[in-house]
Amino acid sequence: MPPLHAFRAKLRRPARPALLVAGIALVAALVAWMAVLALREIDDLGTANSDNVQWSLAQMDVEYLRFRLAVADAQTGTADLDTVRRRFDVFYSRMSTLAAGEVFLPLRGRAEFESARQDIAGFLEATVSLIDGPDAELRAALPDIATQAAGHAEDVRDLSLAGLAAFAELSDERRGEVMATLARMALLLVVLFSGLALLAIWLLRLNRLSERRARQVEETGNRMRLIVETSLDGIIVSDADGRILDLNQSARRIFGYSDAEARGAEALSLFFPDEDPERAREGALRFIGAQRRPNPHERQFELVGRSRDGRTFPVEISVDRAEGPDGPIYVSFLRDISRRKAAEEGLTEARDRALAGEKAKAEFLAVMSHEMRTPLNGLLGSIQILRDTELDDRQSGLLDTMHSSGDLLLGLVNDVLDLSKYEAGKMRPEARVFDLQQLFDSAVETTAPLAAANDNVVSVEWIGPPAGDVEGDPRKLRQILLNLLGNALKFTHGGRVDIEAEMLGRDRLEIRVIDTGIGIAEADLDRVFQDFERADSSYVRQAGGTGLGLGIARRLVGILGGEIGAESEPGEGSLFWVRVPISLAGAGTAGVPAARTDAPRPAVPLSVLVVEDNEINRLVAREMLQADGHTVTEAVNGRAGVEWAERQRFDVILMDISMPEMDGQEAARRIRAGGGPSSRIPIVAVTAHALPEELARFREAGMELCVSKPIDRTVLSRVLATIGGGDADPGAGPASEAGGLIDTEVLSQLRQAMGDATFLTLKEKFLAETEETLAGFGAGIEPDVLAREAHKCAGSCAAFGVVEMRQALQRIEAEAKANRWPEAELRGLPALWARSRAALEAVARDPQV
Amino acid sequence: MFAAHLLRSALALAAFAAGPVAAQDLPAPEGEPILTVTGAIGVTNDGDAAVFDRAMLEGLDPVQIVTETIWTDGVQTFTGVPLARLIEAVDAEGAMLSAKAINDYAVEIPRSDWVEDGPILAYLNNGTPMSVRDKGPLWVIYPYDDNPDYQTEVVYSRSIWQLNRIEVTD
Repeated sequence: MPPLHAFRAKLRRPARPALLVAGIALVAALVAWMAVLALREIDDLGTANSDNVQWSLAQMDVEYLRFRLAVADAQTGTADLDTVRRRFDVFYSRMSTLAAGEVFLPLRGRAEFESARQDIAGFLEATVSLIDGPDAELRAALPDIATQAAGHAEDVRDLSLAGLAAFAELSDERRGEVMATLARMALLLVVLFSGLALLAIWLLRLNRLSERRARQVEETGNRMRLIVETSLDGIIVSDADGRILDLNQSARRIFGYSDAEARGAEALSLFFPDEDPERAREGALRFIGAQRRPNPHERQFELVGRSRDGRTFPVEISVDRAEGPDGPIYVSFLRDISRRKAAEEGLTEARDRALAGEKAKAEFLAVMSHEMRTPLNGLLGSIQILRDTELDDRQSGLLDTMHSSGDLLLGLVNDVLDLSKYEAGKMRPEARVFDLQQLFDSAVETTAPLAAANDNVVSVEWIGPPAGDVEGDPRKLRQILLNLLGNALKFTHGGRVDIEAEMLGRDRLEIRVIDTGIGIAEADLDRVFQDFERADSSYVRQAGGTGLGLGIARRLVGILGGEIGAESEPGEGSLFWVRVPISLAGAGTAGVPAARTDAPRPAVPLSVLVVEDNEINRLVAREMLQADGHTVTEAVNGRAGVEWAERQRFDVILMDISMPEMDGQEAARRIRAGGGPSSRIPIVAVTAHALPEELARFREAGMELCVSKPIDRTVLSRVLATIGGGDADPGAGPASEAGGLIDTEVLSQLRQAMGDATFLTLKEKFLAETEETLAGFGAGIEPDVLAREAHKCAGSCAAFGVVEMRQALQRIEAEAKANRWPEAELRGLPALWARSRAALEAVARDPQV
Repeated sequence: MFAAHLLRSALALAAFAAGPVAAQDLPAPEGEPILTVTGAIGVTNDGDAAVFDRAMLEGLDPVQIVTETIWTDGVQTFTGVPLARLIEAVDAEGAMLSAKAINDYAVEIPRSDWVEDGPILAYLNNGTPMSVRDKGPLWVIYPYDDNPDYQTEVVYSRSIWQLNRIEVTD
């Protein structure tokens, strides 16, 4: 709105009544003033204060002449003296009226009138004595009187003329006044007429406006009625007590009541007889009792309605309150939602069925895979053991084939298991130091039988400098590589598969798997990463496998925070690339690569209790352990294991986790709590599912170590070597080579002080706790908490002589206490810890320390 | 105005010509007659006329009117016989009176004026008998001050002075 209009509008509203009042007051004042004037004029005209003056003056003239005539007649004898006297008296009376009458007052103010009158009066006074005297004297004086009277003819004439002139002037004046009054009244009339005209125009406008408004209101009303009547939803208007005032056609149709039946009835009891009125009034309808407008969240609810013919159905209601002419009214929209409800129920049921089916499928896959792994473990374990027996070349070759086929089968089973694990959202990236080159070599080695089967040549090549030791998740990376490699080998016959590795900067690794196979059509490139997808189904049988390989690779890459993609030229070959974040572990690392496979080393003979329900697995474990020179005692379940542990002292217990009767965790807890001869010895958990949270639970139950199924002989040997204090890992340098990472002196003293077993237990605990603490050092941690945790951890590091780590933690603590965020220190901490941990493990393996 | 006077006089003369009515008992005047009533009257003492002297008028329960007039100066006290009572005394039946003065002024007074608190035939002004020079012997006086309706030119014209004759006409 422009400012001027705004101002006008502002002025208009409060000023209008004031202006109106002022106008009315002005008009009333004008009318009153005019009325006073007019009334005064009317009064003046109405109460005549003058006799007919002209008549009086003329009469004076006549009476003067009659007197003179009587005198003249008396002189001649034709009239008597009485007539003379009477004429004199009449003239005298007239003159005295002129002298005293108030109507002649204005005349007496005029000099010519007054002087003439006094002259005549003088004559009359002088003559009175003669008139009143005896007849004789009067008769004698008649000639004299006649002469004198004649001498006053001029005065009488002057008197009447002066009177006439004066009254003419007065009359003029009076006429002027009347005219002025009339003119004023005319003016007022014009003003009043104008006012009335304006009023009429205003009223006309007001009338038009109200007519237009009335029309608009009517149109709006009609439109509203039409909307209400055509609404598919039932609409009910009810009063404050819930009585129906009005309802539309849909409401009548939904509930089957006629207009007459519904009007005046209570809506709740008529339409919703199945609802408990008390409960409804305290529940959904409590705003009615509270005499208030429903809050937004109270405006929609559902009730069970019943139509006239007894059908019950769910009704969705939307209600609000408005002010009606007789108090508050409630307007409710009602919708029969039985069909929607049915559809919803159907949908929910279908979804539940589908979900249940999915779940059953996933569970079936998981169980099947798991169940298949146990016999596979038996097979593979047996093959490994068979290798230790004397074999000829042909047998050895067959064994190789058996081994690789078993491995492949295990891989497929693991694929499915991984997929279900992935679906359960249980996978997390790990951070470990490992040798990339070895990972590549191992993958090539694993897939060698498949390559040979399809007559393919596999090569590994670094573009740029090789990375060597890096930090990342070797298990997932290995699996990704195996899947890509397996895929390439399946679809290439008599060709090449080249693995190219390249560091992109310091923290990103790209691996390309390039084959000379059949290739993939452009349109299928995206599809190949879907589960159970093959570019060409005709190759399904030819290639074999689950078709999950690339899908799993895609998921794993996703978990690692990387990317995966493919390029291809049908007939020429394909290129699959993966880019994953990885960090260079750097020089001077005294780590032990997790994937490094070492030959079995001579070990300190240990007394081992194997708790395992599966006979094959038990057999495998026994064979492996005995091959290394250990003594083996078998327990067929957890309960038996506990009994053995209470009866006899072992050096170590291998504890399967899932067993009937009593599972591994429970058995471990009982052994630890039992206080028997074996209650303090290391217990190694043997499990197929080693998720981080499970490891934590195992530790809680008293199992500090963990070996994953199927048991790898090398891993088992190393773990037992650690426990038995077997000779040091040849891959690890002496303690002095641990650089500045470990103070071996401190470590050695600690070990001597508490004995081997306790030391090892404590060391594991230290490692676990530190891992846990470091995991908590993410963004979002409060500086004071960071300082406290860093302080605690630094203390533990000091006890184990982990020098660099301790110093780093102390720096972090100092920064955090100063309320600064030690970004750089924190970023470097995981790598430092990985190196420290590896060094500590290596040093701890040396019994001399 | 003057023409109206003439017309009224003519009408009065015509009424007079209609003839006398039966005379009743009214004592003859002993003093100087000052008023002669003629026309449609039921009581007479002198042929067709009823003649009054001062004493006879004084016997008709005279009243006083205190008022100002436009012909005098100051408040005046008039004493006289109410016109209505005089009319009653002569048993007049007409609708109009034609009043005439010594100077031959004539005026008509309608029956509507013959009422209580109406005009009187004054013979005393401030307690003094009025001579012809003082508008005597009789002056028709209305109570001008008491009744503003009488403050009109018509009433002023009916206020005849030097009255000596009345004729009752139909």
